[in-house]
Amino acid sequence: MPTVIEASRLRFRYERAWVLDNVSFKIESGDYVGLIGPNGGGKTTLLKVLLGLEKAEGSVRWFGQELGQFKDWQKIGYLAQKSPVAQSRFPISVEEVVFMGLGFERFHNRVSHTDLKKVYEALSQTNTLAYAKRVFHDLSVGQQQRVLLARALVSQPEVLILDEPSAALDASSREDFFNLLGELNSRRGVTILLITHDTGEVGKHISKFMYVDKELVFYGTKQEFCHSEKVAAKLGAFAQHTIDHLHNTGHCPLGHCPGEGVSD
Amino acid sequence: MISEFLSYGFVQRGLLAGSLAAVICALLGVFLVLKRLSLIGDGLSHVCLTGVAAALLMGASLVYVSIPVVMASSLGILKLTEKFRIYGDAAIGIISAAGLAVGLFITSLAGGFNTDLFGYLFGSILTVGMDEVILCAVLLVILLFFIIVFYRDLVSASFDAPFAHTRGINVRAVNLTLTLITSAAVVLAFKVVGIFLISALLIIPPVAALMLARTFKQVLYWAAGLALAAVWAGVYLSFVFDIPSGATIILVNLCLLACAYVYNRLKNAYACKE
Repeated sequence: MPTVIEASRLRFRYERAWVLDNVSFKIESGDYVGLIGPNGGGKTTLLKVLLGLEKAEGSVRWFGQELGQFKDWQKIGYLAQKSPVAQSRFPISVEEVVFMGLGFERFHNRVSHTDLKKVYEALSQTNTLAYAKRVFHDLSVGQQQRVLLARALVSQPEVLILDEPSAALDASSREDFFNLLGELNSRRGVTILLITHDTGEVGKHISKFMYVDKELVFYGTKQEFCHSEKVAAKLGAFAQHTIDHLHNTGHCPLGHCPGEGVSD
Repeated sequence: MISEFLSYGFVQRGLLAGSLAAVICALLGVFLVLKRLSLIGDGLSHVCLTGVAAALLMGASLVYVSIPVVMASSLGILKLTEKFRIYGDAAIGIISAAGLAVGLFITSLAGGFNTDLFGYLFGSILTVGMDEVILCAVLLVILLFFIIVFYRDLVSASFDAPFAHTRGINVRAVNLTLTLITSAAVVLAFKVVGIFLISALLIIPPVAALMLARTFKQVLYWAAGLALAAVWAGVYLSFVFDIPSGATIILVNLCLLACAYVYNRLKNAYACKE
């Protein structure tokens, strides 16, 4: 499988504290990676560094190109943890928000029929078609989050970078949301890197886990993650909780957890 | 009465410069208010005092000395927020205080000036010269070009800067251009409404427009329209009642804001009933 994201020796600090220290990994096309770790472990910072929103030591390559040279942003869909405009009265309609996810040509401000079709497809995928003409700030936070997911999907990206996207969603929307991501990954081969604490719902779709706590503590398949007593011991209580959760929700691929006596 | 009012050359120049400055400030203000940088005008207007004092000390043109001084200060605000991670409002406060202090320091070094500083503090639209009218027109053309060509970059960067970055938009360049144009606008507008009232031109029409419009383009049109109406009504009233033009323009702006608020409340109440 071709490499989609390659991070090498990433180091980043806020003021004096190192938030990321020597983080290196490769994500291949079609991977569905769950990025987990304790609060303050550097997960969101890692995503920001990958997208160039924060400058770090080390290198990031997208589709084999250095981040600084990378121009093909339409291949990437991004959804942040919180909408930066959640509290604002920004005068913009839902369809205009989703339209922002598409690329555009200079001096060409008119919306083409093809673009509009893509916008409505993305709205339909996220069950937000009914809000298309409404003003964005009139929607609830959960509805806004679904619209922002439509914006991330509208360019039909090859990679989705999602930062705790389900935090503002109700239980039913959350299930639909993760089923949609699962379908995009399995049917269209979309590569997904997702920060989540919700390993119950998302656990059945994820193929790999990446555990970051300032450094890359674990990166491997779900089977390796669930199977290894050594991994669980090394990762501590947080990882054990995640493994237990996967097991209890029936998403542990081996059907058991390290606490039940499985050894490497 | 109106034909007599419009027959004076100084009134024509004042109305023209005032209209141009008001439209420039209103259009810029829409982006600044939505990016929560609306007080940048207030901060930069205080820096104008440094430019005015320096120009008076050197005996040079106020506008040509003030524009680079204010632009350098606006870059300082960007640097403080980006490099030193200081909140935008705090960075504006720091530069504003520094601008005021340096202005007063230069004034004190020069042993005070004979020029009426009061005019610069509160503006005098009816003393505007033709060169300032031309500068305002040039700046409006630059701003309109920037808004039309980079409309989607501006809207995306104002709505959600991190996401705009992931669409390949150079958010930093957009912010930088917006800030530099704001600097030039602040300097040109200080002759119209004065140093202390510039921020009102940048804030009040866009805030009123946000209450009346539903789409981004409508906000731009409403803001420009309200600002124009305020300048024309303000200059006319100041001429008729012989009251300061800058303050009158701002008071008319406030009346329009109150009308927009009442309209918005009534509209919402009607929508709730339905």
